[in-house]
Amino acid sequence: MTLLAQYFVTGIVTGCFLILATIGFSLTRRVEGFLNIAHAELLGVSAFTTWGLNVGLGWPFIPSALVGIVFTAFLGLFIGRVVYDPIRRLGPAVLLISSVGVAYVIGGAVDGVIGTGIRTLDIPLATTYRFWGVRITDYQMIVVALAALTGVSLALFLNKTKTGLAIRAMSANPELAASRGIDVRQTSRATWLIASGLAGLAGVMLAMIATLSTDIAFRQILQILAVAILAGLGSLYSVLLSGLIVGIAMDMSVYWIPAGYRPLIAFAVVIIVLLFRPQGLSGRKPS
Amino acid sequence: MNVEQLLLTVLTYGCLFSVLTLSLNLQYARGGMINFGTVAYFAAGAYAYAIFTQDPPSGLDQYMFGFGAPWWVGFLAAGVASLIFAVVTGWPTLRLRGEYLALTTFAFAEVLHSFLLNERRIGNGSVGLSNIERPEMNWMGLGENYTFALSAILLMGLTMLLYRRILAAPYGRAIDAVRDDEVAAEAVGKDIKRLRFEVFVVSAVPIGFAGALYAMITTLVSPDLFTAEITFFVWIALVLGGERTIVGAILGTMALVTFEEVVRSMHFETVRAAEIAASTEEILTGVIFIMILRWQPFEKFGRKGERA
Repeated sequence: MTLLAQYFVTGIVTGCFLILATIGFSLTRRVEGFLNIAHAELLGVSAFTTWGLNVGLGWPFIPSALVGIVFTAFLGLFIGRVVYDPIRRLGPAVLLISSVGVAYVIGGAVDGVIGTGIRTLDIPLATTYRFWGVRITDYQMIVVALAALTGVSLALFLNKTKTGLAIRAMSANPELAASRGIDVRQTSRATWLIASGLAGLAGVMLAMIATLSTDIAFRQILQILAVAILAGLGSLYSVLLSGLIVGIAMDMSVYWIPAGYRPLIAFAVVIIVLLFRPQGLSGRKPS
Repeated sequence: MNVEQLLLTVLTYGCLFSVLTLSLNLQYARGGMINFGTVAYFAAGAYAYAIFTQDPPSGLDQYMFGFGAPWWVGFLAAGVASLIFAVVTGWPTLRLRGEYLALTTFAFAEVLHSFLLNERRIGNGSVGLSNIERPEMNWMGLGENYTFALSAILLMGLTMLLYRRILAAPYGRAIDAVRDDEVAAEAVGKDIKRLRFEVFVVSAVPIGFAGALYAMITTLVSPDLFTAEITFFVWIALVLGGERTIVGAILGTMALVTFEEVVRSMHFETVRAAEIAASTEEILTGVIFIMILRWQPFEKFGRKGERA
């Protein structure tokens, strides 16, 4: 029973990480209208920038992480402006396929600069706390806290600030938003910055709780897709719930079936949701 | 560098993967279905061939079935396996459209990959099956490599003929009609569900055969050989060659295979240099891909985008 509880708690941590990784993806889907396969590669960029500054140049962890996140945010903005903006009129299918090309470029660049092998950050070893026999490390608690914080601040941002409201207006109806005087280009830029920054944050979390290898980014996209689909493509608040569901389902499945099948759970979720409830948890009609 | 060897490799693999590109061309450019799981049908074929021709398990082997059948039985089994997998995946998913279909097919391919990797009883799990049976390949004293190249050309030629035949017939115009406007096609009495399903299943069979041929050439099947990279590779080849033309699909694949093989055949002094070359290749592939998607004539896409 304790073991099951342990898997449950680990599942919550995984789920919180997935929330951080997926919110940016869903935000892009909602505002820009396409599935950005390259989103996961940004996690890798941020994780390895942080690693490079932290281990390579010997910077303390927090400044390295901040630089990593900011760098990733601007890289995302740059890619959005250079690659996706000019082809937006060609429709979501072309954007989706193009993003595979972007994933290749980023993945190849990270591979080339970093090289193969397994890396870890130069941070103190995790301290483990025990609650009724269930272990949780301080880094894992940070992930959970940051996911909660991100959820709350995103809700505040989307409901209270001008840019946030503009983003919501644009995702609901771009033409109407433009005709009501919302600066579409600026809103789109803000979206790229926020979505990529969140990917950066998720990348730092990944670097903190896992060992890094250059193929790590690709493995995340599979799970990000699963969470985004379960939530209903493009919805934001249901990402919070569906991230937890996928994370807990994946980690608790280890109790009954071999651990190698863990990623398969995510995909079983994708297939089941798409076949029986394509609109996902949010219940919004797929656009 | 041995130029003759390089040419032969390019020809063999170019023709082999052209079969995949041609099938994708039929599914996507003509049938309007985004299949992001091409590798699964390829893997199904290769594994079916391996399992049917492999001797029964012995010693450290963990796989359950090995029928020790002759190569042609395995070859046919590969086509059937691919067909069955297409029926199983196509039947529930084809009512989905656009990116939803892309994601489901992608998910199915990952599920298959995960099974092959973890379920040791299928094909030794991550170790894979090795020493796969090769047919006696010394046709007219040409040597194995030449015979395999010829087989690949033959397979590509037959696939090409089959698809050309299908598309030139009134059936092909029905497929085009479904892609361009489903409602209109249905209004004039075309059974769009059946048409889409048939195209999906028929185009999976040659992919299965290509998988069997691939297993013969490499004499090894393991989950590592069948990752999503193959799917992306085929997509890039299709975009590179320009959609909707059979010649374009083949040229695109040939160009991409040549590019990869040339980079691979270069000699590097250090491991690091080879690593950098490999990643440069990846970056270049991505950049070319993005540029082609951006500057190609896109009338077809433009129209779709407006409607959606």
